[in-house]
Amino acid sequence: MDAMIAWAPLLLDALSFVLVLALVSLGLVVIFGLLGVINLAHGELFMLGAYAVALAVGWGVPFWLAAALAALAVGAVGWLISAVLIERLAARPLDTILATWGLAIALRQGVVLAFGPQSRNLDAPTDADVVLGAISYPAYRLYLMALAATVLIATLLLFARTRFGLTARAAMARPDMAAALGIDVRRVWRRTFVLGAALAGLAGALIAPLISVDPYMGLGFLVPAFLSILVGGSASFAGVLVGTGIVGGADSLLGHWLSPLAAQIVVFVVAVLAIRVRPTGLVRAP
Amino acid sequence: MSRWDAPPWLALLVFAALAAVPSVLGDYWTGQMARYLLFGLFAASLALVWGRAGILCFGQAMFFGVGGYAMALLTLGVVDIPVLADAWAALGLAVLAATLFALLVGVFLFWGGGISGAYLAIVTLALAVILEQLVRGWYTLGADNGLSGVPPLPVGDNPWDPRPTYYVLLAIAAVLYAGLAMLLASRFGVLLTALRTNPQRLTYLGYSVVVLRIAAFVIGGAVAGLAGALFVATDAFASPSLIGFALSAEVLIWVALGGRSVLLAAFLAAILLRVAESYLSEALGEWWILALGLLFMLSVALAPHGLLATPLLWLRARRKPKGPAPA
Repeated sequence: MDAMIAWAPLLLDALSFVLVLALVSLGLVVIFGLLGVINLAHGELFMLGAYAVALAVGWGVPFWLAAALAALAVGAVGWLISAVLIERLAARPLDTILATWGLAIALRQGVVLAFGPQSRNLDAPTDADVVLGAISYPAYRLYLMALAATVLIATLLLFARTRFGLTARAAMARPDMAAALGIDVRRVWRRTFVLGAALAGLAGALIAPLISVDPYMGLGFLVPAFLSILVGGSASFAGVLVGTGIVGGADSLLGHWLSPLAAQIVVFVVAVLAIRVRPTGLVRAP
Repeated sequence: MSRWDAPPWLALLVFAALAAVPSVLGDYWTGQMARYLLFGLFAASLALVWGRAGILCFGQAMFFGVGGYAMALLTLGVVDIPVLADAWAALGLAVLAATLFALLVGVFLFWGGGISGAYLAIVTLALAVILEQLVRGWYTLGADNGLSGVPPLPVGDNPWDPRPTYYVLLAIAAVLYAGLAMLLASRFGVLLTALRTNPQRLTYLGYSVVVLRIAAFVIGGAVAGLAGALFVATDAFASPSLIGFALSAEVLIWVALGGRSVLLAAFLAAILLRVAESYLSEALGEWWILALGLLFMLSVALAPHGLLATPLLWLRARRKPKGPAPA
């Protein structure tokens, strides 16, 4: 029982990290799966979400509304990126890696110029603790987990059960055939990109009260998110969840025993080995 | 024969102009340009691996850094092998270390089908991050502080005169450039182009795609390692930033902006961008990085052959109207 009391906060911390990472990875994987585009600016979209919520809260907007607005704002940025940059490069997917990297540099530096390189902290909407049996745990983290899980499930349902999801999956699997059947593939692309961007923005907004918000925070989430989708497999949403569970969970838990640096090295090495052994990911395509 | 490279007269012109640098620009710039020459060589190594062989490596600085750290460890006597404390012997061993490391990484990445395309970019990126974190946490390697006080190359009598070192480095760069250009104009160069454009056909013709990929990767790693070892000796300092993701991404920008498939364009772009950075980062301050990011993005979108190589390709196209377009 004592062991469980000691363990429970660690496991809950790991779970909240995994859920936020899953939001980032899910945004990444719908863009990668649908357009074959590796979006290296995804971490910066996440960062923009955190800045947007910090700004809005500073203006007096209530936190939860600010988080929703941040997701919308970052989605709008995604619309612009898709229309101006991504769709032009559709025929050269590998070049999108480079172009989005240039964009990432510009976004990061734009934020440095606008708000300065220093990090800022944001207060959580509540600093209450919830008593769960023998332990007490910050209420905000519980809200965060519930909301992240809800959004994840909603996104999965969107792709599995709605007409938009069906056309998106069709455009993903056979773009030519989908176009022949009258689906406006380009429009589906743009919507999906916006959705992925909004998910990244939401993830950034939700995690903003828990970490320090600075212009370089995106990189720290981008690499783990990519490793997650490659470890789990980019062909299915289950793969994303498995991948983030392994990468995010191991990173978060190992950080308690080893230094965060050593934990990251171990997790990255294991992830690279896993990708090498099973390039299609642990979860096979359905 | 496909020779996409710059014409030899242009390369001669570039190297002649570089040879005039010490007499025109003075000692400070000669010292800086000596470093930029090595970044140019480093960029040429990536042009071979990525532009020619089509291996999008997001971790090319791994080899630059391994060469640099090996050089620092040997000449500082941290790894105490008296025979190898001599700068030139240490240089040879540093290149060997980078070459073997590239072989190891290459075999890991490519053996038995291996990883390619977008996955390769992510995995090499992750490897560069791992290596940088490892160095940052490794006390013997100086951790975050790096290794300082690396002795300079034993060139010339007066250590304060940057010119002898500059000329030696320029000679090394010129010889290596000529060697790489000849290699790419040879049969092997054609095979590398085929590796990028049509690996299936290459397999069909009886070549081993895996062996060719590893060969290109190892040659690129060796050149990057040499550039790194010489850089550390010139700069007197091996720091974790030389081995990681940041420099890997930077060299990719130089090569993409110059022209990924033209060695000379990549070499020159690295030098010009460093010079521009020295001048403009004072004038533009923080705006310089923003401008570089946007320029990089626009160049990839609008001039994928690179800003320096695109005019060269026009030149070629005008002279030989029937020549095939570069892929």
